[in-house]
Amino acid sequence: MRVFRRRAAVGVALVTSVMALTSCGGPENSDGSGAVTGKVEGQVTFQTWNLKAHFKDYFEGVIADFEKKYPDAHVKWIDQPAEGYPDKLSADAVGGTLPDVVNVSPDLAYPLAKAGLALDLEKAAGTYRGEYLAGAWRSQRMPGLPGVYAFPWYLNTGPMFYNKKLFARAGLDPEKPPKTYDRLFAEAVTMAKRSDGKTAMLASTPSIEDFGRYGVRLMNSRGTRFTFNEPKGVELLRHYRELYAAGALDSQALTAQAESAGRKFEQQSVAMNPGSALDLENFRKEAPSLYRNIGITDAVNNTGRANMYVQGLMVNAQSRVKPAAVAFAHFVTGAQRQMAFARKVAIFPSTRGALDDPYFTKEDGTDATRVRVAAARSLRTAVNYTPVALSDQMKTVLRNAVARAVQGKQSPKAALDGAAAECNRLLATG
Amino acid sequence: MSVRRPARRTRTRTRTRTQLPSTPWLFLAPGLLISAAFGLYPFLSTVAHSFTDARTLTGGRYVGGANYRELIHDAMFWTGLRNSLLYVLGVVPLLVILPLLLALLVRRHIPGIAFFRAAFYTPVVASVVVVGLIWVWLLDDRGLINALLERLGFGRVGFLGDPWLLLLSAMAVTVWKGLGYYMIIYLAALAGVPRELHEACAVDGAGAVRRFVTVTVPAVRPTMALVGALASVNAFKVFSEAYLMAGPTGGPGGEDTTLVMLVRQVGTGLSGRVGYASALSVVVFVLTLGLMLLVLRASRREDGA
Repeated sequence: MRVFRRRAAVGVALVTSVMALTSCGGPENSDGSGAVTGKVEGQVTFQTWNLKAHFKDYFEGVIADFEKKYPDAHVKWIDQPAEGYPDKLSADAVGGTLPDVVNVSPDLAYPLAKAGLALDLEKAAGTYRGEYLAGAWRSQRMPGLPGVYAFPWYLNTGPMFYNKKLFARAGLDPEKPPKTYDRLFAEAVTMAKRSDGKTAMLASTPSIEDFGRYGVRLMNSRGTRFTFNEPKGVELLRHYRELYAAGALDSQALTAQAESAGRKFEQQSVAMNPGSALDLENFRKEAPSLYRNIGITDAVNNTGRANMYVQGLMVNAQSRVKPAAVAFAHFVTGAQRQMAFARKVAIFPSTRGALDDPYFTKEDGTDATRVRVAAARSLRTAVNYTPVALSDQMKTVLRNAVARAVQGKQSPKAALDGAAAECNRLLATG
Repeated sequence: MSVRRPARRTRTRTRTRTQLPSTPWLFLAPGLLISAAFGLYPFLSTVAHSFTDARTLTGGRYVGGANYRELIHDAMFWTGLRNSLLYVLGVVPLLVILPLLLALLVRRHIPGIAFFRAAFYTPVVASVVVVGLIWVWLLDDRGLINALLERLGFGRVGFLGDPWLLLLSAMAVTVWKGLGYYMIIYLAALAGVPRELHEACAVDGAGAVRRFVTVTVPAVRPTMALVGALASVNAFKVFSEAYLMAGPTGGPGGEDTTLVMLVRQVGTGLSGRVGYASALSVVVFVLTLGLMLLVLRASRREDGA
């Protein structure tokens, strides 16, 4: 026992020494107010999320510009594949190898911020707040935590694609796709009946964003309890159950991922599918017969507000080169760099005034421009419907409950009550 | 020359015993260290974590047997256990019998047989992800198999939409992928079956089926037990095939979740419940060990009889 104590004491001393060494080794980088100050120097590790394959030149250019502006700083760029990105982040976070600047969505930033691994930028770099859209800056706030934990980076919102040929074949007006859920449900049943169950309107069951767009209140105002089991949520599931029974929801919708739903749409067995401006180019190359019949409309919603996908750049709170990391994250998310990025790919800048640029307001008659202008317009009022506190495990709980209700194995009310209770339990114990 | 040799051997043995007693340990050390670091330590750590409420990013507090108590009331655990056991029952008999028949077929020396041996073995070396994706495309509503069924006048079958069909489809993929591997093991065993026994049996007038039952099966019974044990353990901890076909949620409503899929679902990601997932892992370990001992004991009893 004594030997164990002695060894434990040695171990604790060793760990404490290592921690002390690592925390003291970095430069002084915080003034009294918590703002990160100091010389921009040292090596910054910068991790993106599946961007190297298509945007290598862009990022290398940004890094070169930064290193030119700050000659004592050097950036090491790491790109991770999309598959298993949260697992990679968690492995790095646990192993103490989290990069200095990390590309995260708010739901990924939340657990890192809760664990004290994300720098509070409200304190550390609050002077930059005014450069970003107020909504985008707000989207990086986390429930129960005081600050903002990532620089807002690019935004996106998806239009809904639909197949005009399938609409016409079912006797529906291909020029007037459904814009409200009521019309969507009615036309979906009509399409299934008139095609003898061969054409489904949708390929996936409702996700948390769909609950939000339908007008369901997802959490209470303090963000401490999930409320998606309220009557409106039950009503949504009742509709989806009817669609499934009528064959208006694809038979594999209960197991569908975004990719498989997209494949069904490309195979023209499903008439509507959400997507982004990026998909248009894919359709043109991979499904030319679909591309000839493609229709583009706003995502269906009952709230008047589209869903907004938000990306951010988080600064590691344990970074040894905080001034350089903050400077680099700000540099990448600055108006000029975001605008240049938006011209390369169909994303939208989160910086103030950028969406007023003619690039986002003037159509030139092409589909790509039409999608871009419509998306930029809808972003002005868009909302990120995914609660940051909804973990992957909670998403699975909700998805399983939805599947049980849609199959008729459980009533929508019982399924959602069970899912909300389980998510609240996980939230409370998290 | 012949007188000196034994004396030299004796001297060498003596020197080894007296001067280098730790030599075997030196050879074993790298392997032992690697096993301890990557096998024993994670195992002990998992057992220790199973008594805590640890999360991915936060250290856990000791909670005694709370995780194990929670597990008993977790409906998903029972679904996972049911599916893992069904997997064993569905897959193991096929993986014990079919590769043996396949091995008997391909051991013949006929022109072009090497091609078939290689063809049957190809799924074994193919990546399980590739295999899974190919089968997902084949079994899709609009896939090749449904197109054939439709052409033959049958309706489409929802292989990937119905929980039971999904589980059966995943089992079929496991069997398909495992056939070649166990076939090779049986080919080695069959090479050791004395030819004279077959000849004696044939002289007595026994046909092919009788020779198989009275000569081949008794001779390869120990191999069948080995294949049974290996297939049972692999089937019980199945992950990839079920995950690829049923998706990360484990099929509609999680109906096709297996125990290992549940461990992944619960324990990974930034908010993973490491403590609870560890308890699940310990239970999977105990059940797998029990299953393996059961199979080996049954085969030993059969040998004794």
